[in-house]
Amino acid sequence: MDDVAACENKVFLALADPSRRAIFESLTHGEAAVKDLTARFSISQPAVSQHLAILKDAGLVHGRREGRHVYYRVEPRGLQPLVDWIAHYRVFWTAHLERLETLLEQMDE
Amino acid sequence: MSLTDTTDTTQTFAISFELDLKHGPAKVWRALTDPVLLNEWLLPVVENKLELMTGAAFSFQTQAHPGWDGTVNCKMLEVDAPHKLTYAWGVPGLDTVMTFTLTPTASGTLLSIVQSGFKPDQKHNFGGARYGWKMMGEKLIAILDAT
Repeated sequence: MDDVAACENKVFLALADPSRRAIFESLTHGEAAVKDLTARFSISQPAVSQHLAILKDAGLVHGRREGRHVYYRVEPRGLQPLVDWIAHYRVFWTAHLERLETLLEQMDE
Repeated sequence: MSLTDTTDTTQTFAISFELDLKHGPAKVWRALTDPVLLNEWLLPVVENKLELMTGAAFSFQTQAHPGWDGTVNCKMLEVDAPHKLTYAWGVPGLDTVMTFTLTPTASGTLLSIVQSGFKPDQKHNFGGARYGWKMMGEKLIAILDAT
């Protein structure tokens, strides 16, 4: 598997989990530490940490250490593999719909 | 050419297009539902078998690629001739829904196409699916350029 595909897999796998999606969405509103997220969701602290580790590995969040805490924020370019992937479908349909128009010209009424 | 990409850029989980066609809805409906015609503009329909019945399964076939045998598994969800056609569109790693809406206009038909429900699915190989689409897109552009 090439690097692009491996990177994409990580993004999709990370976001396939509803809890991780909720944590990710919550971080889009601003930086937060593990304790803040634990308070916000009914998930244990180790579980939150594990979710954050997966999001971080996928390049979706960034951690910043300050004293005893690590503050997490959304990595703005993290969703790019997902956007790129959907863009392929846009290219696909654009090309095929042009063919549909050509076909309609050729069809009998 | 009057193809408009109407995708909301803030919404990355759906793709939508609108086509202002100078052909009547009945003719457009035929192009969307006749396997022989689908083969002409979209993809070959497996065994040319496509039943216009809710729940009917059918598939499109394209080139196989590593991680994907090239089959698009579909299932009719709504058939309302010649107004609306909705079917599930499934490839490895991606289960989406295609919706074609035909609205009569003074000069023909306004065709709206929406592919929605892009949802990550951890059971499958995303890399393979993307590779397949990329290859197909490039091949198509080459065909279009040559004609």
